[in-house]
Amino acid sequence: MPPVPTAAHDSDDVRAAAAGDRHAFQRLYTLHVGRVYGALQRLAGYDHARAEDLTQEAFIRAWQKLPGFRHESAFGTWLYRLAVNVALMDIRARGADPVSVRDNELLPDPGETPFCAAERGELEQAIGQLPPRARAVLVLHDIEGWRHEDIGDELGMAVGTSKAQLHRARSLLRKALGERS
Amino acid sequence: MNEFEWRRQLRELRQPAAPNRDLWPAIDAALDGAAQAATPVQALPSRQRHWLLGAGLAASLLVAGGLGWRLLQAPPGNANTPAISNWKPADPRFAGAAIELDAARMELELAIRQAPDSAGLQRLLRRTEQQQAQLRHLADRAS
Repeated sequence: MPPVPTAAHDSDDVRAAAAGDRHAFQRLYTLHVGRVYGALQRLAGYDHARAEDLTQEAFIRAWQKLPGFRHESAFGTWLYRLAVNVALMDIRARGADPVSVRDNELLPDPGETPFCAAERGELEQAIGQLPPRARAVLVLHDIEGWRHEDIGDELGMAVGTSKAQLHRARSLLRKALGERS
Repeated sequence: MNEFEWRRQLRELRQPAAPNRDLWPAIDAALDGAAQAATPVQALPSRQRHWLLGAGLAASLLVAGGLGWRLLQAPPGNANTPAISNWKPADPRFAGAAIELDAARMELELAIRQAPDSAGLQRLLRRTEQQQAQLRHLADRAS
């Protein structure tokens, strides 16, 4: 998983916030909210209201868990991971779209569907229409750069299932973009 | 468009984004009711606690059963088994230690019958008997 760029000087604020300093935590919020919201927005399928709720939930959880932060990783990385977990827990709680062999059989073979150039807005809209679990795998793998092993761990699925979901998500995405072009 | 360009296009989506509104006031308000976790305690997982509880119970039953069986097999006056001490301290604080030491002495006497030449067992028996004597002395002083 690629590291999240963080400011080197936030460690003082992290310690102060862990000790209960609300102003220090606000500075951390200001520094990291863009990164957190960006990831959660993608996982929420560009549903801005949902992404905002998840962002709030992520920062509240971070505040609660800060005393246990061990400084073994950068705070930004820890916060990013925690925020993604919040979004994935939300997806799991909804019990969304378990993949099945039948689903994959109905999809076009990726080799038959051409890759389509798309404007950023079109791409985001197409990602937003993917089933939540397939979207999570596509976002984490193809955009966030996670490995299937990590995705499987976080989503409680086997590596093979994660690969199947990615295959499904890519096929659906290409199909959606192809129909528009 | 090849797959490399397609993947590049997806990766370009990995950018920070600003929420449409300032989320801090709502977060700040929610923090009032969200207490920070105290210093984390490494509590055992529930499954592990249950396992330890079960193992402890099983061990206790095994020891109790073994001791009961041993006592049933050793009726008073049987010359082949060591005699249980008749001494019972009046002070209940010494009762547990007296039972433990008596049981240890019995075990050692049985073991010595199997290996009469074992200097180590003889030494342990003497030490146990000394501890029993000390316990009696302490119990007498306390009463």
